[in-house]
Amino acid sequence: MPSPDAAAGSPLIVAVDIGGTFTDITLQDIATGEAWTAKTPSTPRDPSEAFITGMHLALATARRDAQDIGRVLHGTTVATNLILEGRTAPTALLTNAGFRHVLEIGRADLPRRDNLWAWVKPRRPVPPALVFEAAGRIGADGTELAPLDEAAVREAARAALAAGVAALAVCFLHAFANPAHERRALAILAEEAPGLALSASVDVLPVVREYERSMATVLNAAVMPAVSTYIARLESRLAEAGIAAPLLLMKSNGGVAGAGSIRRAPAQTALSGPAAGVVGARAVAAAAGVANLITVDIGGTSADICLIAGGEIGLTQTGRVGPWPLSLPMVDMVTIGAGGGSLARVGADGALTVGPRSAGAEPGPACYGRGGTQATVTDAHVVLGQLPLSLLGGRMALDAALAEAAVRGVAEPLGLDLAQAARGILAIADNNMVGAIRVVSVERGHDPRDFTLVPFGGAGPLHGCAIAELLGITRVLVPPSPGVLCAQGLLAADLKAEFTRSVAQPLESADLARLEQAFDDLEQDAAAWFDRETVPPADRRVERVALMRYEEQGHELAIPWRVADPAALGEAFATAHRGLYGFDLPGVAIEVVTLRVEASGLLPAPAPTEPRGGTAADAVIGRQRILLRDAAVDAPVYERARLGTGASFAGPAIVTQLDATTLVGVGWTARMDASGALMLERG
Amino acid sequence: MTRCDPVTLEIIRGAARAAQAEMEALLERTAMSAFIREKKDFYTALFDADGAMAVGSDLPIFGDIVGPVAEHFPIETMREGDLYWYNDCYGSRGAVSHSNDQVFLAPAFHDGRRIGFVMGWAHFSDIGGLRPGSISPDATDHFQEGIIVPPVRLVRDGETNTDLLRTFWRNSRFPTQSQGDTSALMAAVRLGERRLVDMAARFGSAVVADAFAQLLSRTEATVRAQLKAIFPIGTTRFADTIDSDGQGNGPFTLRLALTRTPDDRLIFDATETDDQAPGPVNLLMHPDVPGMALGLYVLQDHPAQVLNAGGPRAIDEVRLREGSLLAPRAPAPLGLRGLTMMRLLAALHGLVAVARGGNAPAAHSAYVVIALRGTADGRRFLLSDGIGVGYGARPFADGTDAVYFVAQENYPVEFMELTYPVRLRGYALNPDSGGPGRFRGGCGVVREFEVMADEAMLAVRIDSVKNPPWGVAGGMNGGSGRAVVNPGTPRERLLAPLSDGTMLKKGDVFRIETGGGGGWGDPLERPADDVLADVRGGFVSIEAAARDYGVVIRAGAIDAAATGAQRARRRPTALFHRREYRDAVA
Repeated sequence: MPSPDAAAGSPLIVAVDIGGTFTDITLQDIATGEAWTAKTPSTPRDPSEAFITGMHLALATARRDAQDIGRVLHGTTVATNLILEGRTAPTALLTNAGFRHVLEIGRADLPRRDNLWAWVKPRRPVPPALVFEAAGRIGADGTELAPLDEAAVREAARAALAAGVAALAVCFLHAFANPAHERRALAILAEEAPGLALSASVDVLPVVREYERSMATVLNAAVMPAVSTYIARLESRLAEAGIAAPLLLMKSNGGVAGAGSIRRAPAQTALSGPAAGVVGARAVAAAAGVANLITVDIGGTSADICLIAGGEIGLTQTGRVGPWPLSLPMVDMVTIGAGGGSLARVGADGALTVGPRSAGAEPGPACYGRGGTQATVTDAHVVLGQLPLSLLGGRMALDAALAEAAVRGVAEPLGLDLAQAARGILAIADNNMVGAIRVVSVERGHDPRDFTLVPFGGAGPLHGCAIAELLGITRVLVPPSPGVLCAQGLLAADLKAEFTRSVAQPLESADLARLEQAFDDLEQDAAAWFDRETVPPADRRVERVALMRYEEQGHELAIPWRVADPAALGEAFATAHRGLYGFDLPGVAIEVVTLRVEASGLLPAPAPTEPRGGTAADAVIGRQRILLRDAAVDAPVYERARLGTGASFAGPAIVTQLDATTLVGVGWTARMDASGALMLERG
Repeated sequence: MTRCDPVTLEIIRGAARAAQAEMEALLERTAMSAFIREKKDFYTALFDADGAMAVGSDLPIFGDIVGPVAEHFPIETMREGDLYWYNDCYGSRGAVSHSNDQVFLAPAFHDGRRIGFVMGWAHFSDIGGLRPGSISPDATDHFQEGIIVPPVRLVRDGETNTDLLRTFWRNSRFPTQSQGDTSALMAAVRLGERRLVDMAARFGSAVVADAFAQLLSRTEATVRAQLKAIFPIGTTRFADTIDSDGQGNGPFTLRLALTRTPDDRLIFDATETDDQAPGPVNLLMHPDVPGMALGLYVLQDHPAQVLNAGGPRAIDEVRLREGSLLAPRAPAPLGLRGLTMMRLLAALHGLVAVARGGNAPAAHSAYVVIALRGTADGRRFLLSDGIGVGYGARPFADGTDAVYFVAQENYPVEFMELTYPVRLRGYALNPDSGGPGRFRGGCGVVREFEVMADEAMLAVRIDSVKNPPWGVAGGMNGGSGRAVVNPGTPRERLLAPLSDGTMLKKGDVFRIETGGGGGWGDPLERPADDVLADVRGGFVSIEAAARDYGVVIRAGAIDAAATGAQRARRRPTALFHRREYRDAVA
């Protein structure tokens, strides 16, 4: 990709975030930081329609030409939704003879929190009738134990075609140690079934554990037809519109990649949307000088929680999407079923629960007046006066009476008054999130009190102060546009890819020259990738990381490989182990399991723009009655857009803007930061 | 007494669950033995200040964990920072039921007051004893099943008794694993202790205490009400049989009776169970176990409740007979009590089936474990592989295929081949092992190994062969497991399902087939399309589809006419099925 500086006359970047209801477009001038946004109804049948409509709208607002666009960034939920809703393309899997039930058996993992007698195994994305076997075997050390039965591969291709599949995945045992059989099978399948989407495990996830790798490969193949069609449509529409700029898509790892590589590995976008939000939160925090943050993205049905220490977004290789493991690198976050639409209910045994069931978009919370009668988190906010009755700049009205009626359904069986019940619902939702934050922080060995909470998503800023108080956090940073933070993330993202190799050597006796050579090889792979993505040499960054563990442990820690010195690396590992888990094991051998090169291609980030409003007093647009625990107060309502840098006020207060509502709690002080973020501080 | 309001109660329950999740994450990430880190044989629990389990794991096998420690170290003498430890089965009345399971327990204090206890529990792969892995069908005496740790105090006033640990590690054939696992378990318990203290600091000790009390009484009330709804006044009986003790003795029959008195007392009586076995299939059943197990069963419709000591409290009296299979006298060997436990759990469902005319899950197979030990490349190895079985079909769904037990995972083929001197020739579902029914029983699996070490000794543990898992309400029994060496060759031989000492050489192949679960409801009523999907998916053979389900499949499609004719031939069924329809299985 040509750097925007080199491509004269192309100083604009555009980020497109397609939601269920609206498609949001942000256009930004890299040099000045000036930004324009547009909102247009989404077009679910062909999302690229709204994509282009919105882009033209934004260009018109900015009075700029399509030719000025140097980069198009997009976060896509196509793959995510297909997987979560079980609507992936009919797909077949080719595996080794004797192992056709690899998906059906899985890890025999009846979940720890489920009841043994009630649990029903979820239906696999590929039914066992569409799993085909071929003889041939690679051993654990990569040697060929039996040749590939090519006739069986051809037969499988024909049978799969006859069954009407659209995609074919190949995953053979130990392919990560020797991909020859997978490569050959792929070639045969391409001959026999030229129209099908094909995917081999070595290209998707070259790491040990066949169920997890098979699942990743199957999911990759199964979303490939839809994602390819989608990308092709976007590209042709961009070309029609005279936009020659490259299309970059957000991956689950928080980086972007060109459309070409996403077509080959679409499963990498399974967490595209949430990852964009996290990257956006990091960018917003960085602009405000905050490097340690916990992000809470609260939507209608779920909340995504992520911890960022020292500005580094942690990645995990043990993520899940719906019921499936997806061991591709993804932003390490926890998702729980708690959002604005989560339903509150009282069981026959008198237990009050909130979520995971949700009122969804339809009928939505009772106060939306679309037929919902059960109390939701949003209804609880309305009852307490924490949510203005007019949202989206007046385009949506909430019905307080309906909210009260719904919450009464919870209050009466518990013998509580309306406000107590509403506070109870919120307390349970907040505490679910707090539990998840604790899990995220202890797994990284962090104390949440050292962090700033960054709530976003439409419902996030309503909960920020309450969650912070429960965790002992004293600073909450509300982004400039908390409801459309994904777009910010897209604008701020760099190109990212990881290159890994399994080495499995004891650290003490490691062949360091060989390891250095392996790192060099991985860096060459990274260089080739940089070339493909046309990243200029000055913008290339690579980092060497070794994944290490005590011998016989099952999980590794990522240790930066600064110098090839076993003693120093061992000490760094022991220190990290102590920090995370509270102990280390002196005298126990340490293994280097995997080497990883993390490659980033820096993209120029737009400059932040300063808020243009005035003092706090200028921004008051009304007052609203809030039911606090001890008393009801008339709290001021501020309009976010009218708050200028340094504007400061105390809670309780409500801040409204188009995409979200912020509740400033009692004991909190809000101050408008020069970066446009609203900083809330306590005590 | 400070009352905990319903909202705070829900929050404390959530905080306890989160604390467990944190402890489990730590264990999984830092433990060394494959049994803990890959198979995930570990559990956690939080207790109230008196030692009653308030929030446990969803596992139906726990007894009174704190009591055995308190007998030696009175609770009021415990101090902040103490850590206790045991694996003593007979010394804990079966709170631990085989010695491989280590219990670490810490009291938690807030403002100088004891507020509760935290437990970490994990299966250690080798603690000495007769054979590597410490569990063997050949054991004749509990002292052959590894080192016994009575309730001991491991930490006092910040001082760890490392001599005790070194003694324990020295008794393991794999001392590094033992050391790593001990460290992981201790760290997990410390983490749970901190979380419990955090809870007390946040809500107040009295509120947490009341929350725990409410969780206990809520569970007790729910379990009691559910059991009352299931069991009529009078005595409900069910009996079932395990095949053998691995040493030529058996079968052994478990005879259970649950009595609901006219004044609604519940009495569980297993005194008519057969005498204890010479071999290690004895289950030293803690009297809390029936309440835990029935509790887990009835709580499936009450996801907001937690399984805890309230379950056992719902049963007013448990009668066992000393010297029987469920209350053996020391030092009877206990290592393989798992298969008796699994049969007991199914038998409890049998009681429900009798009481409710078949509205209960069918029986499951007992999970299977094999152990392969030897030396390869100059290093001793121990492969203990827990292998999934089929679970019973239910009145609302098929039984689960290929599951071992709650939360316990299998070893990936690639992991095994990278770690042990074996090669896997196949790993698939065991067709026709799921009991036919309107809802099909879950299928067991087939796992075929080739030995790559020069020599190795194999132990297998398979039950429910002579007495396959029963079907219910018209459903038929599930299939049996078996172990074969060098199948399909002139050297083929069938192993005794419960046996040790089989010597294998490099290149030998052994094939383990595991049993399935029983079916539920008449198989002639299973939708023909579901049967076709089962055939296509390798769950059911074409022959069995015709024979058991009356579904005739030709050229990959249903022959509607032939199927109609087959399905018209109805025959009388009975409440249970094992080889034939019958009113009782043993």
